[in-house]
Amino acid sequence: MNSIAKKFFVFLLLFVFITMFSASYKTLNLDNIAILVSMAVDRSDTNRYQVTFQFTNSSSVSETGTTEKAPSIVNTIEASSLSSAINLMNAYIGKELTLSHCKLIVFSEEVAKQGIQDEIYTLMNDSQIRPSTNIVISKCTAKAYIQNSKPILEPLITKYYEVFSNSSQYTGYTVNATIGDFFNDMLCETCEPFAILGGINSEPLQTNTTNVSQKDANVKANESPVSGSSRSENIGLAIFKNGTLVGELNAIETLSFLSTRNEVEGFLVTVPNPDVENSYIDLYLTPAKETKTKVDLVNGSPYVTVNYSFKGRIYSMKNGAKYLESDVLSAVSNYCSSYLESTFSSYLYKTSKEFGTDINGIGKKALTNFFTMPDFETYNWNENYRNCFFDVHVDTNIKSGSLLTET
Amino acid sequence: MPQSKITTREAIILVVTVIVSHTIVSLPKTLLSTAKSAVIINMIYVGIIAILLGYVIYRLFRQFHGQDIVDISQFLGGPWLQKIVGFVFIAYFISSSAFLLRNFCEGIKIIYFPFTSLTYIILTFVVVLCITNTFTFRSNVKTISLILPIVLVSIILLFFGNAKNFFIERMLPVLGDGLYQTFVVGLGNLAAFGGIGCLYFLPPYLKEPQKFKKISMLSVGVAAIYLIFCVSTLLFTFSFFVNVDEVLPLYSAARYIEFGTFFQRLESLFLLVWMLEICSYLCIANRFSMAIFQKITNLKKLKPLAFLFPLLLFAIAMIPKNYAISRYLEDSIYPYLVLGINLVLTFTILILANSKKNRKKVGVTHE
Repeated sequence: MNSIAKKFFVFLLLFVFITMFSASYKTLNLDNIAILVSMAVDRSDTNRYQVTFQFTNSSSVSETGTTEKAPSIVNTIEASSLSSAINLMNAYIGKELTLSHCKLIVFSEEVAKQGIQDEIYTLMNDSQIRPSTNIVISKCTAKAYIQNSKPILEPLITKYYEVFSNSSQYTGYTVNATIGDFFNDMLCETCEPFAILGGINSEPLQTNTTNVSQKDANVKANESPVSGSSRSENIGLAIFKNGTLVGELNAIETLSFLSTRNEVEGFLVTVPNPDVENSYIDLYLTPAKETKTKVDLVNGSPYVTVNYSFKGRIYSMKNGAKYLESDVLSAVSNYCSSYLESTFSSYLYKTSKEFGTDINGIGKKALTNFFTMPDFETYNWNENYRNCFFDVHVDTNIKSGSLLTET
Repeated sequence: MPQSKITTREAIILVVTVIVSHTIVSLPKTLLSTAKSAVIINMIYVGIIAILLGYVIYRLFRQFHGQDIVDISQFLGGPWLQKIVGFVFIAYFISSSAFLLRNFCEGIKIIYFPFTSLTYIILTFVVVLCITNTFTFRSNVKTISLILPIVLVSIILLFFGNAKNFFIERMLPVLGDGLYQTFVVGLGNLAAFGGIGCLYFLPPYLKEPQKFKKISMLSVGVAAIYLIFCVSTLLFTFSFFVNVDEVLPLYSAARYIEFGTFFQRLESLFLLVWMLEICSYLCIANRFSMAIFQKITNLKKLKPLAFLFPLLLFAIAMIPKNYAISRYLEDSIYPYLVLGINLVLTFTILILANSKKNRKKVGVTHE
């Protein structure tokens, strides 16, 4: 009898729990959910949110997992808030949107200029949003950005969104900016948030300067000289102050940003050729040491010393090059150091004087000058960042050519 | 005298389990809010004090071999004091575990079971508790001994998994909100060592009571190192835990862990381990409450209480009307309960009982 009672009790418990927990599982069933890949936020003419959702059509993915390209579906809705837009879309598609696979959130430049603080709070409040979701600020409309994002070398759009920001590690022309980091920086007292600058490639701008090769690094999204089957591009950086877009950085400035933060593994720079006038050579540099930043307070103003160190090889090769000669390599190293010093210095002054926003997190280094948090708060770092003086040192050591050393 | 005797290692694990369980919910956030950037210094400072307290507890228990705080209360003030102290500790164990359970379940509901009633989520843990109560204390402790190392490994993994996101500069300014806030107000962070409450009930269960000193000091030491790992992970990774409140702070940290593109979304695994940890804690609190009740009511068998106490815990967990109230109870009331009961009340009893014992000894010597 005792055994029967025990069995009955166990059966009853299982029944109760299966019944009660089924509601949560039912909503997560694959038949009832729509997997969102990316989301784009624009402003409509009536100043309402125009939210574009991109889904994958899971039924078109090959069962064998081969290279069949899964087309994506793009739907747009107009609503008064993000949550409202998601709710309306749920009703429209007859399924519940799941944000746990959302790889990208795009805000148009117009929306970002009005401030996206509340939107970021709302998104971070959603337990489904991953902190690793990338944030893009689009120079065109966010909807156009998504419509023009096509995976050229990947079978799935999700894979493309996952890997595209990796190029920041070896080009330094874009960044890996996630919503988790954005939220963290937004609430940080010693730094400010940033996002990937995106756009659609258009006709290249006409340049009337002789230094055309160095101008390659001065492009940003929407202005790049690229043309191809996927029109969306991600070059540059969108910078924020208190959750509001205040400026943009081009490719070389983005590289400066990544070098200052020790987030680039290697990059290509073009410097004047010391041997031939009006000629340029390409160098591939990698960090030799971590960039060291030190902040002193001189007469109440921050005096920032930044030491960069790179080593590298000459990437471009010409007839008659003598890259086995020590004095040639020293001359190239010196040219490179002074070019980078001037580039990094103007970048740092731009963030300080023009934008007044510490995206480099230099404020964290300034904390060594204070013993207590109230002292630091009284100093008001975010305002005093505008008064910074930068002392930039670059040490470059060009070792040789690559496979060819002399021609 | 209980029949289930536990080893020194198991006793240490019991105390650490109780301390660890509170870190899974909101304790790290509370510690960070108090000491801010000086939280690591504060935890070292508070940890040293807690270890010293562990030593003092050992000294105060030296004259009462194999007796717990309830027995000592009886010696000091007779059966009435024994009953009062007993009920105070039952209320402490049940209420603190009930509010911890409530807050943990609120977090689970938000993250994984948005459409399941909170009652059923809490009930799942209560059923686990009813089942564990049907086993012996020794078998419970053996199971807990298997779970705790996994929990400790999970926290170490959390620390190293997030290392790539660390900014060590976040521990600056070194003094946080100032000397007073770090070292005087920060003394309140002693409440993180609420697990020392278990030490008062361990002596009757110990296989080797002579090792009580080792248990009381080592368990607090291990817990202090664990707490430093916890707060360091949050302090170095996030800038926002000082200003923004998240339901389960360590869960937030777990969401950032990625090993390449293959090992992602490990937070579910962490949550599973932490669920086992919460079950372990509930089991310990429940077992001690039952043992105290048995002692003060002279019950012969524990079995009738096996379902009664879990149901009591369930009822108390359901009292808060909303999450704000249950968080208030855990963040604002629980520290005072720990400091008031675990330190003020027990130390008073122990000091008075020791002086009474000494007076008796002196009396016997004079006679």
